[in-house]
Amino acid sequence: MFQRPGRDIVAPFLGSTVLFALLLGSGLLYQAAVGGGASERLVTIMLIDAIIVVGIQVYIGNTGVLSFGHIGFGAIAGYAFAVLAISPGEKAKRIADAPFGLVDVDMSPWLALLLAVLITLVAAAIIGVGLARSGAESGAVAATVITLALLFVSHEVARNWPDLTGGDRAGLSFKIGESLDSRIPILLALFGAILIARLYATSRSGRLAVAAREDNLAAQAMGVNPLVQQMVALLISVAIVSVGASLRVYETGSILPDNFFFSYTLLTLVMLIVGGRNSVTGALLGVVMMTVGREATRRLGQDGFELFGIGLDDAPLDWIFRENLQTVFLGVSMLLFMIWRPKGILDDWELDAWAHQRFVAVDAEKPGPLPELGEAPAAQLEARDVSVRFGGFQALTAAHLDASSGEIVGIIGPNGAGKTTLVNVLTGMVAPTEGSFAISGERLTGKPPFQLARAGLVRTFQNLRLFGSLTVRENVEIAALVARDHRAERTLRDVDALVAEAGLWDHRDRRARELDYGTSRRLELARAAALSPSFMLLDEPTSGMSDAESLAMVEQVRHMAATVGAGVVVIDHDLGFITGISDRITVLDQGSVIATGTPEEVQADPRVQAAYLGSAAESTTVNAPANAQQGIDDV
Amino acid sequence: MTELLQNLIDGLGRGSIYALLALGIAVIFGVMHLLNFAHGELITVSGYVSVWALGAGLSWWLLVPLIIVTSVATSLIIERVAFSRVRGANDFTLLLTSFGVHFVVSAIFLLYVSASVKNFSRPGWVADTYSIGSLNIEVFDTVVIIVTILTLVGTTLLLQRTMFGLALRAAAADFDTARLMGVKSDSVIRGAFALSGLLAGIAGVFWLMRAGSTTPSAGIDPMLKGVLAALIGGLGSLRGAVLGGFALGLAEVLLRSRLPGDLASLTEGVVFALIAVFFIFRPGGILTVATAERV
Repeated sequence: MFQRPGRDIVAPFLGSTVLFALLLGSGLLYQAAVGGGASERLVTIMLIDAIIVVGIQVYIGNTGVLSFGHIGFGAIAGYAFAVLAISPGEKAKRIADAPFGLVDVDMSPWLALLLAVLITLVAAAIIGVGLARSGAESGAVAATVITLALLFVSHEVARNWPDLTGGDRAGLSFKIGESLDSRIPILLALFGAILIARLYATSRSGRLAVAAREDNLAAQAMGVNPLVQQMVALLISVAIVSVGASLRVYETGSILPDNFFFSYTLLTLVMLIVGGRNSVTGALLGVVMMTVGREATRRLGQDGFELFGIGLDDAPLDWIFRENLQTVFLGVSMLLFMIWRPKGILDDWELDAWAHQRFVAVDAEKPGPLPELGEAPAAQLEARDVSVRFGGFQALTAAHLDASSGEIVGIIGPNGAGKTTLVNVLTGMVAPTEGSFAISGERLTGKPPFQLARAGLVRTFQNLRLFGSLTVRENVEIAALVARDHRAERTLRDVDALVAEAGLWDHRDRRARELDYGTSRRLELARAAALSPSFMLLDEPTSGMSDAESLAMVEQVRHMAATVGAGVVVIDHDLGFITGISDRITVLDQGSVIATGTPEEVQADPRVQAAYLGSAAESTTVNAPANAQQGIDDV
Repeated sequence: MTELLQNLIDGLGRGSIYALLALGIAVIFGVMHLLNFAHGELITVSGYVSVWALGAGLSWWLLVPLIIVTSVATSLIIERVAFSRVRGANDFTLLLTSFGVHFVVSAIFLLYVSASVKNFSRPGWVADTYSIGSLNIEVFDTVVIIVTILTLVGTTLLLQRTMFGLALRAAAADFDTARLMGVKSDSVIRGAFALSGLLAGIAGVFWLMRAGSTTPSAGIDPMLKGVLAALIGGLGSLRGAVLGGFALGLAEVLLRSRLPGDLASLTEGVVFALIAVFFIFRPGGILTVATAERV
C-alpha cells in the first residue's frame, strides 16, 4: 500500500500530530484569551468543522471533482445518528409514527455513530456508481450536478418526511443532558481524520487518484483505473464526513434540515478552497482563517465598531456593519479566491512532505547506470486487418503490424496517414471498426486503455501528457506503482534509477509542468519504461526537437527499451529519425499499409517512392502538403 | 386519457419556464464552458424589484418590461464584475465562481432587506381557468406556453439569421477557432449574457407571477431546475436544453399527480433521484454532444 515507509507513513504520522496540535493549540489559546462559554463553543464547532472539511478534502483534493453533495451525505449521517441515538421517550414526542419501529430503538450513541457511518457509506456507494457513469474526472460538470442533486434530495426528504425527521420546523432534539458533554470524542475523531487523510494521500490509491486528477487519459494509459481510485476516495471521504456530521448533531443536541444544506456547504467549501483544496494542511489553515473571519464579521455586523472599543456608533461604515455580514464575508471570500488564487494559499503544499523533503531526503545518492537486459521475455505483437471509420472518413483500412520484443519497428507516413489512429487502437483509445490485435496470442481487442497498459502496451503522447503538478520522480513513481501490481513477472526497475537513466536526476524534484520540451519528452519515456511494458508505443517522440536532440533521442529510446526488455513501435514523419532507429519499417498512406521491410528495402520500394515520397524523394523530411485531415488523425 | 391530456398541458406550462431557464444556461455554457449556478439570482433581483415597484404602485403591465430590463442588466453586471475575470479558467474555478456569485447576491439581500419572505400582489388572472370539454386549463399556462413558443422562435431566428447568432454558434462549437476567424470574444460573451438575461427575464416574469413572493435564497429553485434541465437535455446543446426543460416539467406534473398520497410531498426528491438514475444510464443527456478529446 505504501512505497517508502519513511515518507509515506512516518512523516504523515508526525505531520498529522503537529497539525492537530497546532489546530487545538490555536483554539485553546483563543479560549484562554477571550474566555467564557461562547468562546469554548466556538472552538468546539471549529474542531467539528475541521473534521468535515478534512473529510471533503479527501475527495475533492485527490480527485479534482467538485462535490456539493458531501453535506448531503452529512445530512444522511446526521439524521441516521439522531434517529438511532435519541432516547425512545424523547422520540415519542416528535416522531411517534416513525416507520420500521424506530421509535423503540434504544442504543448507545457510539453504536448509533457506527451505524450512521455504514448507512451513509451505502448511499455513497450508490452515488459513486452514478459519478463513475457520468464520466467523473477533474472538474467534470455532470458529476458536480449529480452531487448537487444529492444535496437537494437529502434536504427535500428531510423536510417532507416528518414521520422520520421531525420535519422542517421541529426537527429532532436530544433531551438536555443526553448530548455530548466532552470534547474527547471530537478530538479523537479529528486526529483520526487528519491522519487518515494524510495516509490516504500518500498511499497507492491516493497517488493513483491524484495522477488521474492531473490527467485522466494519461493515467489510464499508465494502467490506472481512475473510477476505482475515485470510489475509494469517495468512501473514505464520506466516512470521515459522516463521523463529523454525527458529532455535530450530538454536540448541538438537535438537527434541522437547514443545518446540512446550502449555507453549510458554502462554509465548508470556502474553508477548503481558501487554504488550498489539494492539501490537508491547507484545509486546516482555511478552517482556522474562515472561523476567525466569520466570527469577526458576525460580531462587527452585530455590534459595529464597538467591538474594538473605538465606539464609532454613528460611523460612516454603518451601511456595511449590519447583521448577517458574515454571509457576505463568506461569499466574497469564495469569489475573491476564485478570481485571484483559485488553488488557495498553500496550493498542494503539505507540512510533512515539505519537512521530509527538506530534512530527510536531501542527500539521496544518484544511482548508477542500469544494465540492458540481455534476454528479454519474448513477446509478439500482432495486429490484423485493423480498420477504423470516423463517420464517413476511413482512417485505417485493413492495416497490419507485427513487432517482437527486442525489436524497434518504425511506422512512417504523412499527416493523415493513420499513424496515431493505429496507436490509439492498440492502446484502447479508439475502438477498431474491424480487425483485432493480440500480444503473444492473447487477444486484446476491445479492452479499455488501463487494461491494455497492464497487458504491456504503453504509449507516449504526441502532445505530451504528463501529471503536471507532480514532480518528475512522482510521475515515474505512478507507473512503477502500477507495474508492481500488474507487471510483477517482469524485471521492474527502480524509480530513481530510471529517473537518472533518462538524464532527469537533477530535475527529479521539479514539477513536470515546469520542464522544457525536450526534458518533458524524456520524462514521458522514463514513465513509460517504469511500467516495464512488453511494447512501448511512441507517438512522434521527436516532434518539436532540434536535429541534435532527435539524434540523442534515438539512443535514449533504444537504451531505455533495452533496460526493461520492451519492444518499441515508434511513429513519426521524420524519415531520418525513423530509418536511424528502426529495425523494420511499416509505411502507411491514406490509412493503408503500402510497404513493410528493413529501412533499406522500404527506401528502395518504388511504390513508397511513388505514392508517398513523390517527387521529393531526395528530401529526408516529408510533410504532407495539406493538413486537411489532421484533426481526424490526431484524435 | 383526459387526465393524461390534462397532465400534458400542465406539464407544458411548467416545462416552458424551465426550458427558458435551461436555454439561458446552455447559451452561456456554450461560449464560456461555465455552468452558471448564479442564473437564479436574476430572478431573485427581479423579485425584489417587483416588491419595490408594486409597493410603489406600479402596474404589472409596466412591471413586465422592468423585470426584463432588470434581468438583462443584472446578467451583464455579473459578467462584468465576476465572470469576465475568470474567462478561460478551469471548470472547477468556473463552477465555484458562479456558486460564489449566488451567495454574494443573496447575502446582499439578506443584509439590506431581511431573511424573511416578502410578498407582492399577483395579477388577478393568474388563477383563472377556462374549460375545453372536460379539460381545465389555466389562462396562465396558456399565456406561458404561447409566449415561450414565440420566444423560442425569436431566439432561433436570432441564432440562425443574424451575424451575432452565427458568431455565438461558432463560439459554442469551437471558441478558439471562432476567435481566429475574427469573432470578437468580448462581444460574443457579453451578447450571450444579455441573451441569457433576456430569457431569464421572460421566465422570471412568469416565475414571479406564480410565486407572488421572494426571499434572499429564492434563486436556488429556478437555478436548480434550469441546470438540471440543461443537463438532462445534454450540456452544450441549445435544442437539448429546451427539450430537457419540457421533459423536467412533464416529469414533475406526472409524478405529482400519480404518486401515492404519502409520497406526493416528496415529488421533488423523487424527481431528482430519477434524474440521477437517468444519468447513470445516459450520462450525456438526451441529445449527447459529441466531444472528442485530441490525443
